[in-house]
Amino acid sequence: MIFSENFDVIVVGGGHAGTEAALAAARMGQKTLLLSHNIETLGQMSCNPSIGGIGKGHLVKEVDALGGAMAAAADEAGIQFRILNSSKGPAVRATRAQADRVLYRQAIRRRLENQPNLWLFQQAVDDLMLDGESITGVVTQLGLKFSARAVVLTAGTFLAGLAHVGLASFQAGRAGDPPSMSLALRLREMQLPAGRLKTGTPPRIDGRSIDYSAMMEQSSDTPLPVFSFLGNAAQHPRQMPCWITHTNVSTHEIIHGGLDRSPLFSGVIEGVGPRYCPSIEDKVVRFSTKESHQIFLEPEGLTTHEVYPNGISTSLPFDIQIKLVRSIKGLEKAHITRPGYAIEYDYFDPRGLKNSLETKAIRGLFFAGQVNGTTGYEEAAAQGLLAGINAALKTQDRDAWCPRRDEAYLGVLVDDLITRGVTEPYRMFTSRAEYRLQLREDNADLRLTEIGHRLGVVDDARWAAFDAKQQAVVHEQNRLHAVWFGPSTSSNSLPETDALRVLGKTIERDCSLHELLRRPDISYANLMTLPGAGKGVIDPLVAEQVEIQAKYQGYIKRQKDEIARNAHYEATPLPQDLDYTTLGGLSSEAQQKLNQHKPETAGQAARISGITPATISLLLVHAKRGFFSQKKKKVNESGDTAR
Amino acid sequence: MENTDIIAAIATPTGRGGIGVVRVSGKNLQTLAQRIIGYVPQARHATLSKFLDKNGCAIDQGIVLYFPSPHSYTGEDVLELQGHGGPAVMNLLLSCCISAGARLAQPGEFTLRAFLNSKLDLAQAESVADIIEASTTAAARCAMRSLQGEFSAAIHMLVQVLTNLRMVVEAVLDFPEEETGFFQEADVYSQLKTIQARLECVRLSARQGSLLREGMHVVLVGQPNVGKSTLMNRLVGQDVSIVTEIPGTTRDAIRQAIEIEGIPLYVIDTAGLHETDDAVEKIGIARTRSTIEKADLVLLVMDSRLDGVAPMDRIILDSLPAELPVIHVHNKIDLLDEFSRVTKKEDRMEIYLSAKTGVGMELLRTKLLEVVGWQSTSGEEGIFMARHRHLLALTEAGAHLDNATRLAERASQLELLAEELRLAQRSLSSITGEFSADDLLGRIFSSFCIGK
Repeated sequence: MIFSENFDVIVVGGGHAGTEAALAAARMGQKTLLLSHNIETLGQMSCNPSIGGIGKGHLVKEVDALGGAMAAAADEAGIQFRILNSSKGPAVRATRAQADRVLYRQAIRRRLENQPNLWLFQQAVDDLMLDGESITGVVTQLGLKFSARAVVLTAGTFLAGLAHVGLASFQAGRAGDPPSMSLALRLREMQLPAGRLKTGTPPRIDGRSIDYSAMMEQSSDTPLPVFSFLGNAAQHPRQMPCWITHTNVSTHEIIHGGLDRSPLFSGVIEGVGPRYCPSIEDKVVRFSTKESHQIFLEPEGLTTHEVYPNGISTSLPFDIQIKLVRSIKGLEKAHITRPGYAIEYDYFDPRGLKNSLETKAIRGLFFAGQVNGTTGYEEAAAQGLLAGINAALKTQDRDAWCPRRDEAYLGVLVDDLITRGVTEPYRMFTSRAEYRLQLREDNADLRLTEIGHRLGVVDDARWAAFDAKQQAVVHEQNRLHAVWFGPSTSSNSLPETDALRVLGKTIERDCSLHELLRRPDISYANLMTLPGAGKGVIDPLVAEQVEIQAKYQGYIKRQKDEIARNAHYEATPLPQDLDYTTLGGLSSEAQQKLNQHKPETAGQAARISGITPATISLLLVHAKRGFFSQKKKKVNESGDTAR
Repeated sequence: MENTDIIAAIATPTGRGGIGVVRVSGKNLQTLAQRIIGYVPQARHATLSKFLDKNGCAIDQGIVLYFPSPHSYTGEDVLELQGHGGPAVMNLLLSCCISAGARLAQPGEFTLRAFLNSKLDLAQAESVADIIEASTTAAARCAMRSLQGEFSAAIHMLVQVLTNLRMVVEAVLDFPEEETGFFQEADVYSQLKTIQARLECVRLSARQGSLLREGMHVVLVGQPNVGKSTLMNRLVGQDVSIVTEIPGTTRDAIRQAIEIEGIPLYVIDTAGLHETDDAVEKIGIARTRSTIEKADLVLLVMDSRLDGVAPMDRIILDSLPAELPVIHVHNKIDLLDEFSRVTKKEDRMEIYLSAKTGVGMELLRTKLLEVVGWQSTSGEEGIFMARHRHLLALTEAGAHLDNATRLAERASQLELLAEELRLAQRSLSSITGEFSADDLLGRIFSSFCIGK
């Protein structure tokens, strides 16, 4: 039957990508339907119970700056908060929270249920409805037909998912959930380029069977960090510590004894796993000289005893899993509540996507999350948000949007995916961002909230808070530029004791407060203790912003110059229907790569591996020549023979 | 399609003729002109002017031409500095332009800009792609030549130590919760010092080992009395070897520095390589062999009256390094009443000339430069520019490493140090090829056991 309501946007899947996509589209006023095979698991954290970390925390803040749910939900569910890299500089500083799974799910569910324009429906999707090369809707397991102008597919690891424990394997979306077999089959039939990836989880342990006395405790930082720009520490539930223990030589012997029954080492698993998140058997084999590996025992929540032992993801047979866990200090009597497993799943080559995350092959069909070859909740949420925004824009007949590489980690993520594709599950690292110094957690709102407001995903409350902060920053910056100190002979001189105390030396020429703040070893707080420096701002976020912007001014300017130099490449569109083998002067390697990728701009083309600056020059020439021939045609039509 | 930066390059073939032109193009060249010649020249007037380095010292004197936008070749402001054509002067002048704010142009970039600014019509535009393609290929070929030997080994060593340090620094930034062990802050400083020393080493070999600096070494080989010494005298333009009718007169390998079109070139006249019992001659022959080892090019001189390569010469040729280019010079065509000419046999250059009368010597000079890739044949970028690129990249990388060292001394935030290291590596990528973030991550994952 055909469902009575028509939708603007349908989102398939209720994980971190799907929920952000649905919320974003609905926030933008579009009538949105979220289809999930199980409403109970909306916002489920299927793997480790934590949000954020290096690079990932940056993504969470960006999602938040664009009005997304992840940061706010983490603030409501986080039971241990830490700031990583706090001493290494503001750009690589990152927030991470251990989350109570139940509280997190509830926080997401509440937002979904209360979001205007958003409909929830529980049904697995089996098929897509197409009209030529455009999407028109989806068909569910029961044969219900839902129509929409845009569909966002966020199927996670569910597409033809195959879980492995030892040499036994079973079809699953994740442990306890059925996979999407018919949809996977249908998508494969559409000839979208697909591949196979693998990921894994560790066995879970009953906390009552753990002896923590021999382990190192790791508590939340003080003051308690906060994720959302609109959040505060009072929202956090009771905090719990994590614990650190290690594998040992006998653990490694046990693992070696089980390798003959490992699906990873016996060739049963075909999918490629991530190098940065290897299974414990992988670590032991590849780094055989290392006698010990670190394990973080992370609490799964306030209302459960289950513990997630981060660092021993494995697909070894269950009898080995028990032995290896019990060989670890403090886990001698551990009771495993769920076996660890590896899962293989279909992903689609992200080089088949536009930077809006719309597939190049099917108009109106968007892909987000793990189906694009990424891993991680944060990567999924960020893509979901972007796909949701663009699906909404599409149905509003507005231009698509994607942040540039210098604007957001989200821009880096999408650009990497569509220009380079993936060879393993893609995870964000700060080293992937060439403009790292300006893509910081602290300025995610300054980078994105205004754009989000224009797009319609940022509500008035967030906008007002942002606007106030931004004005406070500018106001304080202007004030710092206006307050001057002179040398000891001048009328506005500093008392020598104060100068030595704060600046380490006396002032030799006229200096504004702002200039003084630019010096590497002078903090804002300290500077404000100078007599005549004025009161300064109280809001620590405003003070932080003023200080970082002053200190990093030189670096940021250099990066901005570089961005300006490359801007014209990003602004030069390339035709999508061009056969590059017809272009003279290109090497056959370049022709082949350009035909495979069909980059949207000269800038994207430049980032495809193996495409040289000379090739880009040629593309500019051809782009211009196309313009010429059009112009010439017009001139000829008007009967003018100017040439 | 806005290009705002200023580009500069030597527009004339290296060493060709007495005049060389450095061309500069970009938006608003007034500031640059101010720095190079001390004033803004009158538009479209030839003005005699001094060319100044960054300290304001004159390095050369020549003609300045200034074409303000849009009436110029590229459509942007164009400044042409015509100086004395030797490579040293041109090199210096180009360096001055670069320190005054220009960057080295990419191959074919002037033409590209002319095209993008609609200064070329459709017919001309058709060929732009070909020009870019051709000059890029030529540049790549020259870069290859420039990258040979000692320089190459030194730069790879440099990149290796730099990559290792970056690997550690980035791993510490991206994986702070791993049990590090691989990172001691104090170590960074000493590693930086090592890298800086390596860079100095590369710079040294870039200067010492380069064809540019040393010129090219040409070895004359041939049977006694085929006219090698006369040929050399012709090339050199003065008598350095003794020319007699007695075989074996030239007893020693003589290295004579000469210039062809302003390019340093060492011609090594050899003792005739032939069996002898004469002790003095034996020493001469041994020296000849050792000079051949280091040569860039061999001229095999033959008497054109004799048919083909003499058996003795064949033996010599077979004993030479296979990759060494050889030009066959058929001398004494005056005795056969033949015309001078160049032919190609199996990729080998054959030149017919007379050293005695000088007929065909000009052909030889041109071909000498061409064969070693010194001079381009069709306005392409030569090895000279390739080398210039490398030296610039090294200077840039050096500046970033200096910054990094200062940051390490101050023990400031690691992310800034990481940024300087990244920029240093990016500068070197123009020599060694792109090193992407993914490459770096790959190195991290294969070296350190990462992953919770």
